[in-house]
Amino acid sequence: MTAAGRASGPEVSGGPARTRRAFSPQLGLFVGGLVLLAVVAVLSMGVGARPVPPAEVVRALLDYQGTDDHVIVRDVRLPRSLLAVAVGAALAVAGALIQTLARNPLAEPGILGVTAGAGFAITVGSALGLAVGQAGELGFAIVGSVLAALLVAAVGRRSPLRLVLTGVALTAVLSGVALGMRLMLPDVFDTYRFWSVGSLAAREQAPLALPLTAIVVCLLGALLLSRALNALTLGENVAHTLGAGVGRVRGLALVLITVLCGAATAVAGPILFVGLIVPHLVRKPAAGSVPWLILYTMVLGPVLLLIADIGSRVLLPTGEVPVGIVTAFLGGPMLIWAVRRYGAGSL
Amino acid sequence: MSIRRSSGLIGAVSLALVLAACGSSDEGGSGDSAKAPKTRVFTADNGKITIPADPKRVVATGYAVPVMIEADAPLVGISSWKRGEPMMTDEDLATYKKLTKVAGEQAAETNYEAVAEAEPDLIVIGVPAPVLGDIDVKRLESIAPVVAIGPTVPSAWRELSRKQADAAGALDKFDAAQKTYEAKAAELKAKYEDVLPQLKLGHVGAYGEVAKGTFQREFGGSWGTNIAEDLGAAYYGKVKEAGEGSRSVSEYPSIEELPAAFGEADVLTYSVNADGSVPEAVQYVLDSKLWKNLPAVKAGKSFPLRYTEAATYGQAMKTLDAIDESFAPLLKR
Repeated sequence: MTAAGRASGPEVSGGPARTRRAFSPQLGLFVGGLVLLAVVAVLSMGVGARPVPPAEVVRALLDYQGTDDHVIVRDVRLPRSLLAVAVGAALAVAGALIQTLARNPLAEPGILGVTAGAGFAITVGSALGLAVGQAGELGFAIVGSVLAALLVAAVGRRSPLRLVLTGVALTAVLSGVALGMRLMLPDVFDTYRFWSVGSLAAREQAPLALPLTAIVVCLLGALLLSRALNALTLGENVAHTLGAGVGRVRGLALVLITVLCGAATAVAGPILFVGLIVPHLVRKPAAGSVPWLILYTMVLGPVLLLIADIGSRVLLPTGEVPVGIVTAFLGGPMLIWAVRRYGAGSL
Repeated sequence: MSIRRSSGLIGAVSLALVLAACGSSDEGGSGDSAKAPKTRVFTADNGKITIPADPKRVVATGYAVPVMIEADAPLVGISSWKRGEPMMTDEDLATYKKLTKVAGEQAAETNYEAVAEAEPDLIVIGVPAPVLGDIDVKRLESIAPVVAIGPTVPSAWRELSRKQADAAGALDKFDAAQKTYEAKAAELKAKYEDVLPQLKLGHVGAYGEVAKGTFQREFGGSWGTNIAEDLGAAYYGKVKEAGEGSRSVSEYPSIEELPAAFGEADVLTYSVNADGSVPEAVQYVLDSKLWKNLPAVKAGKSFPLRYTEAATYGQAMKTLDAIDESFAPLLKR
């Protein structure tokens, strides 16, 4: 174990005795979160234009017979639920990482210009006639988000404030140029508007293997990096004193945030608030521990997105509401509730 | 006798007034201005409009473009109409390309100065009524009389195209094309009369939204079905909640509703592009396991249909040939 790892473990946030006492409730909460996630996932596979009872959902997963209900569960809703889990976890963990890194409670993954980069790339790709179909849009979104994040990281890597400001500036520039292009080209606007609302619908046929693999790898990376990030929360000087490689940790965290947010945005479009609200909701139970913060966000992000996705299917009798609209609708009141419940100090 | 004679006279005058109100072809010019061009009152979406009885310089936009080109109307300017290009004959396409473009694909892209420069004596706007709001009709009216004749339900293209051609005084060639179409349709109807009327058909349109996970189901009277119906095809069902225009004959259910939508169908048809390629929205349906599970698909009775956007008799001739080609396997079973 490195010095940073030793220093950033439970000892930093309260000493061994206190950690041992707090460990069980935290683990219990985590296991409870996993159970909740499983229940919500089964529920999400039963709700839709064609309702499927929970028992049939379980049967479709464990004893596939090829009936229409089973096909819907296995081929339409299971991929969608897995996508919700991956995107929810990616955005929530990216949010926790950026808030920890920037030491700014209002930081969210989009602040690094990733969302604007993806949107800009899709706009340009559509204008050139290259971002055609789901695979084309996905490719352009990934390239755009990665390039935007690389640019922000290159310019703003020296300090968290500079990083955030660079992200905001790039977002403004890319959004402005892309908006101008969309206003001039109605067909491009048409392509963009479907992507821009953020949705998990109809992704079952899209080539998701690469972005989902990237998300899983980065989630594991975030867990591995979380102990080192604990030292960073004490301030750079203290982290240096404790032997943490501040530059290396920050660089790795930036890579993880970029890939997590870029992949999630590419496959589902911009989904607001998940990356902002989830870290706030779990900050108190995490009790200052970045590893627990990451673990909790990894579970609560998917739960929140799955619930929003269920809502997106039942809110209107005539069809679906894009999940991005539901999360925005839920996210605002939840953020206000969190502020009132835990006080502005927790933010 | 005199009462009967008077009644006859009143009847004749009434008939003349009714015909004038319906805008058939009455003259509205004043008797003492012999040099003034003859006019008539024409009923359009934008009201009763006085137009030249024999227009010499016509500007057409939207759905009126292919109609006017086929009818040999005296066009001096048209809007861009790329969606119709694949359905035009070589001759019509050459005419289309040669004509001055005074508007883009969207109604909002009307170039008023270009319209004025064309010096039309009649402007025929072929866009749906709600889209008329995107056009400064008053400004166009300051250039020439404007008649708006836009699409309503898809199957009404027959009546609407006739009205557009009538406004431009170009019915001769139009009527000939209509007769040719009807003769061909009757011939094909006889060819399939032992097969088609007994089958329940369903159709997947090209305008589903993949991003939303929906498909377009088209019922009878829609773009994808109305010409096949002239051959005796019967598309079953009706929309759950009827809307305006094409929404009264088509709907956009979730892909999960494919079994409920088409489970009863004996034959399924789906729209493809003019070159035979499959639009993304249709490919999304064809790639679904729910589609492959449908009885009609398992029985090998799913057929692509080309030229489903036909909105003129000339275009519809291509549709008839395409349907005949697609339905041919039904005769062998």
